[in-house]
Amino acid sequence: MTRKKVKLSFITNESSRKATYKKRKKGLMKKVSELSTLCGIDACAIVYSPYESTPEVWPADPRDAQRVIAQFRRVPEMEQSKKMVNQESFIRGRIAKAAEQMKKLQKYNREKEITHLMYQCLTGKGLQGLAVPELNDMGWLLDQNLKEICKRIETLKKEEAPPSGRAALEQKPAVEESGGMERAPLQQMWFSDWMGNPSYQQQQQQMGGLLGYGCGGGASGGDGMILPFNDGGNHNTAAIWCNGFFP
Amino acid sequence: MAKKPSMGRQKIKIAKIEVKNHLQVTFSKRRSGLFKKASELCTLCGVEIAIIVFSPAGKVFSFGHPNVELIVERFLNLNPSATTNSFHLMEAQRNVTVRELNMQLGQILNELEMERKRGEALDQMRKSNQSHYWWEGPIDKHELEQLQDAIQELKKNVGGQVAKVMSQVATYSLLLGPDDGGKDGVFDQYEIKPGQVFVGSNAVVGNNNFGYCHGFF
Repeated sequence: MTRKKVKLSFITNESSRKATYKKRKKGLMKKVSELSTLCGIDACAIVYSPYESTPEVWPADPRDAQRVIAQFRRVPEMEQSKKMVNQESFIRGRIAKAAEQMKKLQKYNREKEITHLMYQCLTGKGLQGLAVPELNDMGWLLDQNLKEICKRIETLKKEEAPPSGRAALEQKPAVEESGGMERAPLQQMWFSDWMGNPSYQQQQQQMGGLLGYGCGGGASGGDGMILPFNDGGNHNTAAIWCNGFFP
Repeated sequence: MAKKPSMGRQKIKIAKIEVKNHLQVTFSKRRSGLFKKASELCTLCGVEIAIIVFSPAGKVFSFGHPNVELIVERFLNLNPSATTNSFHLMEAQRNVTVRELNMQLGQILNELEMERKRGEALDQMRKSNQSHYWWEGPIDKHELEQLQDAIQELKKNVGGQVAKVMSQVATYSLLLGPDDGGKDGVFDQYEIKPGQVFVGSNAVVGNNNFGYCHGFF
């Protein structure tokens, strides 16, 4: 069985084409059959080729095929068309989906990139030589982080518990009623989300990364953008840090 | 440790899937794969295909080349293939479009793969540098406040740097005058037109408050 990447264009060599047709047609019928069995659904496939006078059909018995076709025709035309595709529309659909994924992925990666840059700058890297887009994006990220830190500090102040060693704080920035004692006003910041989770539509309950990319649970204040932090739906936009940059 | 994106190929039993959720996911994926295979067969071998599939929820999906109705009617003997010249012409045209679309698809899938790899590289980088960043471990209130100060400081500096660069740009473009045509050099990332100052990659025309509002969103 060849595992070379096949070029997706009409096979000009006649015998090669016929051979490919035979194999792939067989494979296609197998896939239809599997789909039908695995999911317990009705299906039908019809293939016309120049190599055979009669069409290749699944289910093999034409009456079964006709039954499915009849079922199909009973569906109102609008419903039929909704999920009907030809080659062109099918491929366009795939292109659109891929473009969508690309956009999301680029956003996600950009955030990782800028976060990394920010980390570097926080540990001494100079700002010279950075281009305006990077500076702007970093500025935005810094603001986000400031907001979050501010909230966390507020929370800690409210809790009034004396610091008692180090431990990870479980979650929501909202005040927890667990009473002073065990609850040390400690925070853990991390990126664990995009480290561990490959999907960039993350919606976890857990802890939001304080710096950089945390849970992208909701689109708080954005056009569906993935915000770096999950502040537990607690959108306190009483801008603590009023500065010239945010009107 | 990064999780594996998926389980990889598992051998499954060909019998109705028990778990409804799995069933639906499987249907969705396999239906898509089936149509893909059908599309490839059409392109590679120049055959005509129709596939009709009912979803577990009862919705009907269909794929047809050249289109579902034609094949179905032919099958039911309602329309013994009446191919005219104009049909062949349309067919040829369609094939050209499909070829181009396939190329476009191939391209974007490659780009997607490269971007994914880039993401992985970034993950690696972050992982290997983790020890340098003290704020990534547990920290207390005092340290939090220190971090806050550090961030504010950096933010101030960033603002200053942006202003500095923008004023350089303004000066530069004024010196060049109108229509310098592509001599931007180091400012390639964003457009400069004399008299205007563009901020960031989402150009905000004439907005001089250097708002960060859009950033990379």
